[in-house]
Amino acid sequence: MKKFALLSTLLLSGAALAASPKDTLVVQWGADIPTLDPTATYDTASGAIVENIYETLLTYKGSSLRELEPLLATKWTISNGGKTYTFDLRKNVKFHSGNPFTCRDAEYTFERNLVTNSAESGNWFISESLLGTGANANDDKSITWDKIDKAVECNSRGQLVFTLPKVDPAFLAKLAYAGQSIVDSKHAIAIGEWKGTEADWKNWVGKDLQGSNLNKQPSGTGAYRLVRRDANATLLQAFDGYWGKKPAIKNVVIQKVPELAARQQAFLRGDADLIEAGGRANIEEQLKGKPGVVVIDNLPNTTATAIFMNENIKDSSRLGSGKLDGKGIPANFFSDVNVRRCFSYAFNYNQYIQDVQNGKGKQRTMLLPDTFPGYDAKVKTYKYDPAQAKAYCQRAWGGQMWKNGFTLNAAYRAGNVASQTAMEILKKNIEALNPKFRVNLQAKEWSALLNDSKSGKEPMIIIGWAPDYADPDNFMYTFYSSNGYYYPRSNWKDAQVDKWLEQARATTNQATRNRLYSLVGQRAYEQAPFILIPAGIGLTVVRDNLVGVSAQNYNPMISFDDTGTYWKELSKK
Amino acid sequence: MLNFIVRRLLQIPLVMLALSVLIVALTMLLTPAQRAAGYIRSEQQAAQLERIIRDRGLDQPFPVQYGKWLQSTLSGDLGFSKASGQPVLDTIVERLPNTLELTLVTAIPIILIGVWLGTLSALNKDRFIDQVLRVFAVLGYSLPSFVLGIILLAVLYGYLGWLPGAGQLEVINQFAIGDLKRYTGMLGIDALLNGRYDIALDVLRHLIMPALTLIIISSATILKVMRNNMLEALTSDYVRTARAKGLPERVVNLRHARRNALLSVITLGGFLIISLLSGSLITETIFAYPGIGQWVVQSALQLDIPSVLGFALLSALIVVVVSTLTDILYGVVDPRVRFD
Repeated sequence: MKKFALLSTLLLSGAALAASPKDTLVVQWGADIPTLDPTATYDTASGAIVENIYETLLTYKGSSLRELEPLLATKWTISNGGKTYTFDLRKNVKFHSGNPFTCRDAEYTFERNLVTNSAESGNWFISESLLGTGANANDDKSITWDKIDKAVECNSRGQLVFTLPKVDPAFLAKLAYAGQSIVDSKHAIAIGEWKGTEADWKNWVGKDLQGSNLNKQPSGTGAYRLVRRDANATLLQAFDGYWGKKPAIKNVVIQKVPELAARQQAFLRGDADLIEAGGRANIEEQLKGKPGVVVIDNLPNTTATAIFMNENIKDSSRLGSGKLDGKGIPANFFSDVNVRRCFSYAFNYNQYIQDVQNGKGKQRTMLLPDTFPGYDAKVKTYKYDPAQAKAYCQRAWGGQMWKNGFTLNAAYRAGNVASQTAMEILKKNIEALNPKFRVNLQAKEWSALLNDSKSGKEPMIIIGWAPDYADPDNFMYTFYSSNGYYYPRSNWKDAQVDKWLEQARATTNQATRNRLYSLVGQRAYEQAPFILIPAGIGLTVVRDNLVGVSAQNYNPMISFDDTGTYWKELSKK
Repeated sequence: MLNFIVRRLLQIPLVMLALSVLIVALTMLLTPAQRAAGYIRSEQQAAQLERIIRDRGLDQPFPVQYGKWLQSTLSGDLGFSKASGQPVLDTIVERLPNTLELTLVTAIPIILIGVWLGTLSALNKDRFIDQVLRVFAVLGYSLPSFVLGIILLAVLYGYLGWLPGAGQLEVINQFAIGDLKRYTGMLGIDALLNGRYDIALDVLRHLIMPALTLIIISSATILKVMRNNMLEALTSDYVRTARAKGLPERVVNLRHARRNALLSVITLGGFLIISLLSGSLITETIFAYPGIGQWVVQSALQLDIPSVLGFALLSALIVVVVSTLTDILYGVVDPRVRFD
């Protein structure tokens, strides 16, 4: 019995050991980490680790999304009318393998990104800048080795030179993306990655590199090096040979804990310093005000979400009768601006902010994060106004819509409560305008929603966009251009808007670009191609002994809504 | 007996082949876009949906897709697991010992406790102890494991702080295990073999809550079956005969009645071990225990088809091996059942 008691004591004691040590940052996420190979990094969990193992040529300055500062580069010059970028590179920098960082590593990195450009990666946008197309050589036969080789080269002075086919004002911002981090070319080649030569480049085109050898054995110049990655955790340690300031946090442990309740318990007990905390509602209800917990609120949000009103619905099965007879809609139902304005006035923005965002939301004027360059707060916004909505609906389709009514199918992603609530608010308000108006909501699997909306089949959907890089083009062109990614979902085409957006792409003059984006925003307000869903206000939650996370230095493009800064900037008291 | 075992073992490849055809065919019921969505994490990546379908050959006919899968599987490549970020085979090799370790500490207590309590309940039919045990059986039988798991976590870890939280190790030991020589892959046992008793104890402490969850839930099932079988056996002719022969009550109950009542518990125990080894999906997920179950839940949620196929093959192997062992045990317990 005594032995049993001793064993019980041993097993049930020692919980104090659990508290996270002072020099160790313990992070618990519900998500898995798909890859540590920069070229394949295109998700937040991978990116948040890659950006600490590796380094990009430049990065965001403090909390600013508008200013960039050197990181592995020391300075850069732009010449040839904005088409040539020449980078001076930092000296005396070492990779975790011990190899010195040279221009050849940077050249290899970008060539590898252009050569592989796999479908799962985010390299399409660097390829757009450097090769003039987002496709890879399998899909676009005009891409040759010669083109790739000439796009990025080292000159005789050891500078890295990019030659763009045309001006791209977003190019520098693209370089700050974690997926463009510089890899150790000698190490990569030694462990079996692409050799960096023309001889085998074709074999690597389109290859999915999430599980590459470099994913298993990363070697970057960042402040942290990978120690081990197993089913338990991902372990990193401060890199002794780091060229910059030595980090106060020596060890970082990323644990995968799928269950939110388990993560919360660990956080409340101080065993985890940072957790994936489950959004505002959960933080405010479960964590706020608890001992040792600090909530940092009013942080920038860099996503934009809209309800799309498709002006050219390409699937007759979604149209009901296909006529304005109360039992369906015509394929071009939303091509009448009066319908779009009616719907825009019918959405209760404040109710959405209260119901979904716990009162912490903000109506934006454009489908562009308000912290981004180019955002114009002066552009008008729609307010919930049933009288205006009614007036526009009465005008729509020469009065036929009001007289006959309609039945409209609208879809949202299954399981997404915010999207569902937005659609339910709209449905309720539209149906309240006229008993002959009917909106049928459908929850759809993500794949079905993506596929059907992409081919223009869905009459109405709600969907969002998160930034790859902090340039307005990444949002404005995506949403508003008839050549943009979202065009097939809205089929809204405005020749003037297209022209403005192309002009904004062709100049590096920020004042000109700001003016052009403002014009686009104003035109979009008038034409109402989208219902702009209010943006949530960001917040994060940390343990009170963690130093370095604050609203002042929080940059939403770094660490993806977690700390807003690199681990090397953190310490514990 | 030997012939029987060999025959059963020879069935394994055939069962697995048939199963693989079935599973690959079932995955083909999903559209190429649905399967491609498993590779996509963001709206931006959705722009590449068609490229993913083409590059991965998801639009090719069933025989082509199955042929490719079979060819790579036979060469030892089960594909890459998106859910674990490593090859499927490496994932199984890394995680199966963890699940095995959890099974080792839970399976025997589940069966012993279930059989003991079931016998106790039957022998005390309608008395107070029987009533209590029946309530326990109903609770254990009907309580979802995720509810019990979260209650244990909130009380024993969150409120009382007696036990560590989710995971397999404290942070302080995470770095230390890199130096361990791995003999079995089972962390606790390997730590013992390395003389690192602190790590072994840490592993054991982390095992208590998931094990307790499984023991409470599963022993209740065994209790229920054992009680019913025992009650039936106690009223049977052979027990009456044994009593008439003047055998002591203890011998009658344990040697005659319980031995027969055990037969269906062996079958149930076999299923139980199969389910434990195939991964205790919910329990491993709640306690972030890095076993097969946690991986398979993530794989299913992400439509990670190589992982799901790999898991199905592993499950088939476990089912055939454990059911063979169960049949052998049947023969040992019941002399009427013998194999040529």
